[in-house]
Amino acid sequence: MNLRLTEEQQALRETFAALFAKQCPPDVVRAAEPLGHDAALWARMADVGLLHIGVPEDLGGAGAGLFELVLVAEEAGRRLVPVPLAETVAATRLLVACGAHDLLRRALEGTRLVSLAPAPGPLATQVLADGAVADAVLGLVDGRLVAVSRPADVRAISNMGSLPLARWSDTADAEVLAEGPGVAQAFSRALCEVRVLRAVALVGLAAEAIELGAAYARERSAFGIPIGSYQAVAHPLADALVAKDGAQLLTWKASWALDSDHGDAPVLARQSFIFAAEVASHAAQHSLHIHGGYGFTQECDIQLYYRRAQAWAAVVADPGRELLALADGILLQEAMEPEGVARGL
Amino acid sequence: MDFEEPAHIARIRAEAEAFAAQHVTPTVVEEELRTGDGVNRPLMEAMGARGWVALTWPREEGGAGLDPFEAAVVLGVIRAAGGPTVGAGTTMLAANAVRALASDDLKARILPGVAAGTTLICLGFTEPEGGSDVFACKTRAVRDGDEWVINGQKMFTTYAHRADYCFLLTRSVPGSTGPTGLTMFLVPLDTPGIEIQPVHTMGYERTNIVFYNEVRVPDNLVVGVPDHGLSVIRAALQAEQSVAPSSRTRQLYESARAWAASATDPAGRPVAADPTVRARLARLSIDAEVADLLGIRVAFLEQLGGKPGPHAALFGPETYVAWSKEVLDMVGPQGAADWSDPECVAGGVFEYHYRSAVASTIYGGSSEVLRSLIAEQSLGLSRSRPKA
Repeated sequence: MNLRLTEEQQALRETFAALFAKQCPPDVVRAAEPLGHDAALWARMADVGLLHIGVPEDLGGAGAGLFELVLVAEEAGRRLVPVPLAETVAATRLLVACGAHDLLRRALEGTRLVSLAPAPGPLATQVLADGAVADAVLGLVDGRLVAVSRPADVRAISNMGSLPLARWSDTADAEVLAEGPGVAQAFSRALCEVRVLRAVALVGLAAEAIELGAAYARERSAFGIPIGSYQAVAHPLADALVAKDGAQLLTWKASWALDSDHGDAPVLARQSFIFAAEVASHAAQHSLHIHGGYGFTQECDIQLYYRRAQAWAAVVADPGRELLALADGILLQEAMEPEGVARGL
Repeated sequence: MDFEEPAHIARIRAEAEAFAAQHVTPTVVEEELRTGDGVNRPLMEAMGARGWVALTWPREEGGAGLDPFEAAVVLGVIRAAGGPTVGAGTTMLAANAVRALASDDLKARILPGVAAGTTLICLGFTEPEGGSDVFACKTRAVRDGDEWVINGQKMFTTYAHRADYCFLLTRSVPGSTGPTGLTMFLVPLDTPGIEIQPVHTMGYERTNIVFYNEVRVPDNLVVGVPDHGLSVIRAALQAEQSVAPSSRTRQLYESARAWAASATDPAGRPVAADPTVRARLARLSIDAEVADLLGIRVAFLEQLGGKPGPHAALFGPETYVAWSKEVLDMVGPQGAADWSDPECVAGGVFEYHYRSAVASTIYGGSSEVLRSLIAEQSLGLSRSRPKA
């Protein structure tokens, strides 16, 4: 067990942290609302090779794993970067897994924005996370991986999370990319990756929400002392910080499990998503509350975090229903421990 | 970054499991449940024979030369098998301070027996009015020639009735307050003037209140420098935030999962089909994983020489308490039957957890104190407790 980052991983994280901090201050985040997509920033991401990170070198990528992408996605979450990251990254890697090299090449070039459906089944019935901006969306229909091209009339759904949501009612323009026994597995792996990437973005969001709350609690005084010295203010923030650290570790472990084809990977991916959704929601809620009435105003940055904490999770899945799916996974896990009071001591 | 259990950990785990199978017999387990002593002398001596009391000390000092994580795995396996490990862990808190700061003479006298599992040391820190504030110490030590005379009382001196020495915190500078003016002793518990009264807890543990009445202790049993006991306590408490290879939340989860996989409701339906059971079990699995990961992070940061905050010490016990109730809710009324009753569920393990969990958010540093430390150290918020 080793939690140390390599020098390359450290450098990758710092590079993107600096890039996002510089390119994406809160006024850029606000300017991208309500669509939640900054085309110029997305073009910049294509330039720096965001999608290349997790693609093998012989296909023109950087040959890194999901873990490296997790490091980047946390920094993106911290700055609420208004570009589609989780679904596009997972879609790109799904194109690799299914050998769809033509569409992969165009996705890497930045000429086609390729995203992923939230679940198997016909796309027409689903709310697509990047539907308002994607050129193509990958779905699993009747056991086949299809790339559905953007129909002519797409209406962006105005939403509180400033996500580029849309429905595609016309899904006639669909190309079959792959079929066969491995396809469904590859698709569900891509959905695991989406969960982990969304989870770690929520971890980044939670980290910054906590920092905003702590900064305000250090400066703001009430009844003559800084409000951070009141335990009713400080203690829930401490709980949020601990949970956030735990959620980060869980996303790290889940990405490690996916990268190393560990059997527990789907369980860990779901666990990380459910927990990060809860952690981000609590952190943003308490942090907003620390800001008092000011936190409720559009002017205050914490409300940007509060709204996204909810929407970023909801666009993937209901965490409550995810718990039931997780139960299927854990009840199948190996080796029940022997029973008896001895287990408890 | 790698979460795989290294081969040397798997090896030591297998060794510890073989040891537990041999030495943690049903008699040992049941005796601990009946007495709550927290220590079993034959087990301690068997551990000592393998260097598994002073696990991290070098072999030439009677230890086994293990790293902190290996050591935690050994103790975790013995504990999970039902063997009491409070005695070993507590003795080592005091022994590490003695090893770091005591005179050569005292070290030579105490430490070989500690490593062999034959010398047991309990802790005399907390006082009836002290609680989380360990430095609110009123027990007095007054020098008299080459002896000291000690008067006072200590609460929660676990296994004092089984130990050889008490690692005792006293106030030796009259009128001093807080962390100054303190002296630490190793007091032999057969010294005249010591009276030990049992205090039974609801968590199947026995602890003690210990009265010190004109107890005379020779000067050579002072640990460290008289009147400067703070550094001695620090040396001992450094180990308190010790590495946990597996959280109590994990143990509770594994038992709950085993129950859910095989139990049926009164109508004969598998409980595993009940969505409310499934949802709770799934949510518990997450807290178990997170509690373990935060514990691994402590071990990792300590290896790097860092000082991790008490994050694991807060999250693990808090989730353990919360789930000890939720799991009992799932199990139903029969879950309230204790281990001694033939109707008990899974050997009474859930009843046991519910009784004992609540103390875990108190004795390793109460959750309220830990939250304040995290708020101050990691979030830069102002101190909320009065300065000493």
